[in-house]
Amino acid sequence: MTPLLEVDGLVVEMRRQRTAFHAVDGVSFVIERGGALAIVGESGCGKSLTLRAIMGLLPRGGRLVSGQVIVDGVTLDRAARGRGRGHNQSQRMSIVFQDALSALNPVSKIGNQIAEAPRHVLGYGRSASRARAIELLQLVGIPDPERRFHAFPHELSGGTRQRVMIAIALSSDPAILLCDEPTTALDVTIQTQILALLAELRVERGLSLVFVTHDLGVVSQVAERLAVMYTGRFVETGPTEDVLATPRHPYTSGLLGAALDVDTPEREPLAIPGSLPDPLRLPRGCRFQPRCSLATPECVTTDVRLESVGPSHLAACLHSEQVPSARELDGRG
Amino acid sequence: MADALIEVDDLSVRFGSEHGRSLRAVESVNLQVAEGEVLGLVGESGCGKTTVAKCIAGRITPSAGTVRFDGRTLGRTRSKEDRRAIQMVFQDPYSSLNPRMSVRRVLAELLRVHGLVQRAAIEDRCIELMALVGMPRDALDGLPSQFSGGQRQRIAIARALAVEPRVIIADEPVSALDVSVQATILRLFEDLRSRLGLTVVFISHNLAVVRHLSDRVAVMYLGRIVEQGDREPVFRDPRHPYTRALLASAPRLHQVELVRPVVKGEPPSPIDIPTGCSFHPRCPRAEELCSRDRPGLEPVDAGDDHVAACHFRGEKTFVAEEGP
Repeated sequence: MTPLLEVDGLVVEMRRQRTAFHAVDGVSFVIERGGALAIVGESGCGKSLTLRAIMGLLPRGGRLVSGQVIVDGVTLDRAARGRGRGHNQSQRMSIVFQDALSALNPVSKIGNQIAEAPRHVLGYGRSASRARAIELLQLVGIPDPERRFHAFPHELSGGTRQRVMIAIALSSDPAILLCDEPTTALDVTIQTQILALLAELRVERGLSLVFVTHDLGVVSQVAERLAVMYTGRFVETGPTEDVLATPRHPYTSGLLGAALDVDTPEREPLAIPGSLPDPLRLPRGCRFQPRCSLATPECVTTDVRLESVGPSHLAACLHSEQVPSARELDGRG
Repeated sequence: MADALIEVDDLSVRFGSEHGRSLRAVESVNLQVAEGEVLGLVGESGCGKTTVAKCIAGRITPSAGTVRFDGRTLGRTRSKEDRRAIQMVFQDPYSSLNPRMSVRRVLAELLRVHGLVQRAAIEDRCIELMALVGMPRDALDGLPSQFSGGQRQRIAIARALAVEPRVIIADEPVSALDVSVQATILRLFEDLRSRLGLTVVFISHNLAVVRHLSDRVAVMYLGRIVEQGDREPVFRDPRHPYTRALLASAPRLHQVELVRPVVKGEPPSPIDIPTGCSFHPRCPRAEELCSRDRPGLEPVDAGDDHVAACHFRGEKTFVAEEGP
C-alpha cells in the first residue's frame, strides 16, 4: 500500500544578508495512514519551515529548491500548492499554527471562518456549510456552538482559539494535519486538553499528524515516531520510545540531558556546550561536531548521513554506539 | 517568619473600573521571603504572578496592602537605595536591552548614575560583572543583537547585578530560551545565590524549573495564592486540586500514555471571579459548599508550614481522580 504522505529530499533555501543558505537541507520521511510523526528541534533548526514547505506556504524569501511531496501516491504540483489558504483539496492537508490569534481573521466571525472551506473548497451550499461549521465547533469541544458561531477571535480565550484553528483545519476534511507548535502558547492544563483532542481525532477520524515542537516532554504523548532536527537536517528518527530511551545521536542525548524533569528535581540539567552554528558558516563534516563530546577527527572530514542503528531507527552519527542512554543520563547523579 | 527580607502583606491590585467592574489581578496575597532564599512563584498566564512581582519591585502601586523590605514598609515612592536593592530580570532579553547601546555603555551608565564605583574603576567593574555571568570581557564591545538568546539573558542578569541588589526578581527568565541553554542560566542563578547570597523570587509556569531551583513555592490561581510551603511537601503531597492538576499536566519525557485532562475548561476572566472558591467551576473535587464558601489558606496539617486554600486540604487523594 502506498503511504499517505511521502516527503522526499526537501530542500528549502532562505536568505540572510543577501546570502542564500539551505534552511531545510534534505528532509525525507514517510507517514502511513493514521500515523503520526513528531519533529523536535530548537529554534531555527528548520522544523517549522519543513511544515510550511510541505503546505506550499513558504514565507517571503523562501524557495523550494528541490524535493517532492507525495500524497496518496500523487506528487503535488508545486504551483498548485499554497492555494486555498492552508487547505487544498487535492493535498488533503491542513495546517495549525502556534499563534491562533494572528492566524485568525480578527474581523470575521469564527463560524464564517470555519464555513469558508466547506463553502469554497468543498462546494457546500450556504446553509450546509454553516451547519458544517457548527458541527465542527462541537467536534473540537466548544460548548454552545450555535452561539459561539457568532463570536470574534478576540472574544475567545487562547485555548478556545486554538480549538477554532483546529476546526478550521478540519473543515476541508483533511487526511493529514500539520501542527506547528500548536500548544506552545498555551498553559499546561489547556495543553493537555488540546493534546487529548488531537489524540481523539486520530482515533475517531483516522487523522494523520505531523507535529512540530521544541518540547520533548509532549512528543511521546502525540506521536509514535520521532524525528530530531538540527541545522536543517534530521539527525535521528525512530520509534518515539526508542529514541527517548536509547538515543543514538549525541544531540538527542544532549537535549534529554538538558531537559528538566518535574519528577526528579535533584538531577542537574546539563547544557549542550557552545551554541547553534550560524547557518551561513556551518561546521565541516557533522554539523554537531564542534559541540560534541564524542567527536573525533573523522567527524570533521566525513559528511555523516542517517544510517540504520536499530529497527526502523536511524541516526547520523559515526559514534552512535557510544551515545549515553536516558538511563545513563539519569544515573549520572 | 520574623526575619523575612521581603514581606508582602494583604496585597491587592485592581485595574480599571469601567461600569463599576474592575479587574482583580491580585487579591489578598501574603508572602514572606527569607534572606538568601529562592521563592518559586508558579501559576498559569493571567494568574497575577507578574503583578505581584512588579509590586515587590515597585513598578506597580498596589490598590491595597503593603510590601515590607528588611523590616521597613516601602512607600509609594521609593528611595534610590530601595529601588536599587530589588532588581528585575525579564523573560525576553531581546526587548529588555537597548539595541543601540553596547554592553559596556549599558553597564557603565548604571554604575555612573548610581555612583557605585569610582569613575576610574568602572571598566574593571564591567569586566568583573561579565565574569560573574560567565561572559568573556570582549563581549563588552558587542551590541545586544550580536548575542544569542542565552548570552543576552546573561547580559540582562549582569545589568541587574551591576547595582548590587539584595533581591532579584526573575520573571520567566528561561522561558524564551532553547532547552539546551536553559540549564546554563539556571546554573547561573544557583551560582549567584551561593556566591552573592542573593534572595531570588523566581516566577515561572514551568514546574520542573521551579522544583529544581526553589526552596519554597507559592502557587497562584486567579490572583490568589492557593497553596504555599516548602518545595518538597508541596510537590510530593500537593493538597490543592489546582496544584495537583498542574503537576499532572506537566510535560514529562517518558510519558507514554496520554495525560487525561484533569481540569475542565479554562480560567474564568479576572473581571468575573466565581463565588466561593474561585477554582470550583473547574475542580474535579468541588462540592456545593465550594461555590458558597471561599476557603482560606490554612495549614494542611495542624501547625504546618504547608498551607492550602481548599476545604478538602486534609484529603490525600481525591475520589474523582480514581474514577474511570
